[in-house]
Amino acid sequence: MIYRVALTILLALTSAQALAHSEKESMTPADGAILDAVPETIGLRFNDGMRLTKVEMTHAETHTEALDLGTQSGFVKEFSLPLTPMGPGMYHIEWRGLGVDGHPMNGVFSFEVK
Amino acid sequence: MPDIWGQAAVATKFLLYLGVLTSAGLILCRQVFSEQLAGLDRFLRAWAVFFALLAAAMSFLGFAVRGAVLMDDASGMTDLAILALLWETPPGDALLLRLLGLGALLTGVVLGGRWLWVALLGSFLAIWSFCEIGHVASEDRLWFQSVLFGHLIVAAFWIGVLLPLHKLAGSADTLRVAAVLGHRFGQVASVAVPLLLLAGVVMTWRLVGSLSALLGTAYGLTLLAKIAVVTLLLALAAINKTRIVPALQSGDPKAGPHLARSISLEWVCISVILLATAVFTSILTVPS
Repeated sequence: MIYRVALTILLALTSAQALAHSEKESMTPADGAILDAVPETIGLRFNDGMRLTKVEMTHAETHTEALDLGTQSGFVKEFSLPLTPMGPGMYHIEWRGLGVDGHPMNGVFSFEVK
Repeated sequence: MPDIWGQAAVATKFLLYLGVLTSAGLILCRQVFSEQLAGLDRFLRAWAVFFALLAAAMSFLGFAVRGAVLMDDASGMTDLAILALLWETPPGDALLLRLLGLGALLTGVVLGGRWLWVALLGSFLAIWSFCEIGHVASEDRLWFQSVLFGHLIVAAFWIGVLLPLHKLAGSADTLRVAAVLGHRFGQVASVAVPLLLLAGVVMTWRLVGSLSALLGTAYGLTLLAKIAVVTLLLALAAINKTRIVPALQSGDPKAGPHLARSISLEWVCISVILLATAVFTSILTVPS
């Protein structure tokens, strides 16, 4: 019985997204988008107030850099962050932030530049 | 699988639950069963101090781990800007309430005597801190927070009786006191435990919302695992109430070791229940 319960918990854990509570509403460019040119900025819009704490961009699975979050004050729903143009290839964005209710949130999205 | 900071968040939350609920439960039982537990005063107070200090340490560590979660790096644990940001949100309010409660609990326990009532108030405050944060608090309804508070008070009461009952069952000289304590706990639990279960059902209904969410999400599955272990715990409690405690009352010398073994199994169940709770309050999203 206890073995079955432990197994169930393990299954629940392994099926969970790492740190949940990510309630992203929309990202720009959209996840999976294919673009002709590198966008100057990326946009993150949430359905509730958020304070971004870390956003990283990985280009072509080789180069990773932290994006400049600028000066943030309070909790806002929309962010526009400058993106360093790295040329064609896959751009993978990973973000972390604190929700206004105190929940840590995170998420990822990717887009490709031809 | 959660990343290392997610796992750290679960581990600290589990130990926090264990610390707060056990220290609060010990004080609650000490005051409710003052006649039976007067002889174990020093034993109970020593364990209450241990678990309250564990809770205080996990409160600080858990808060710092949130900083690490936000930065995906250990540096977040000591990043003053990040910690100050956290302090402005509900986790900051909860930490303050919890530390005030644990401070009152420790003060009352160390001074003893009538000060144990201050310790009891501190216990309630520390338990209420869980109602100020998380999925239940996000609904921002006092009645819903009160349901969780009642759920936790009964859980603490149950956990709090285990150490003294195990101690009393372990010696032939105190078996008679163990019988009285077990009987009286059974009487109170026959009213309190249904309330605990009812509160659990209400929270499940509000937070999960549907059968498909219960069966089809990680949150629902973890909750089901918790319910399965709660069922096992209830079965153990039923055996205690209907067989072991009556055997103790009739003077059966084997009943003491039986009760001690049953309580050890209850600790295993409670640990799994607290771990499951730490999982779905730390890293899983509420389906509804």
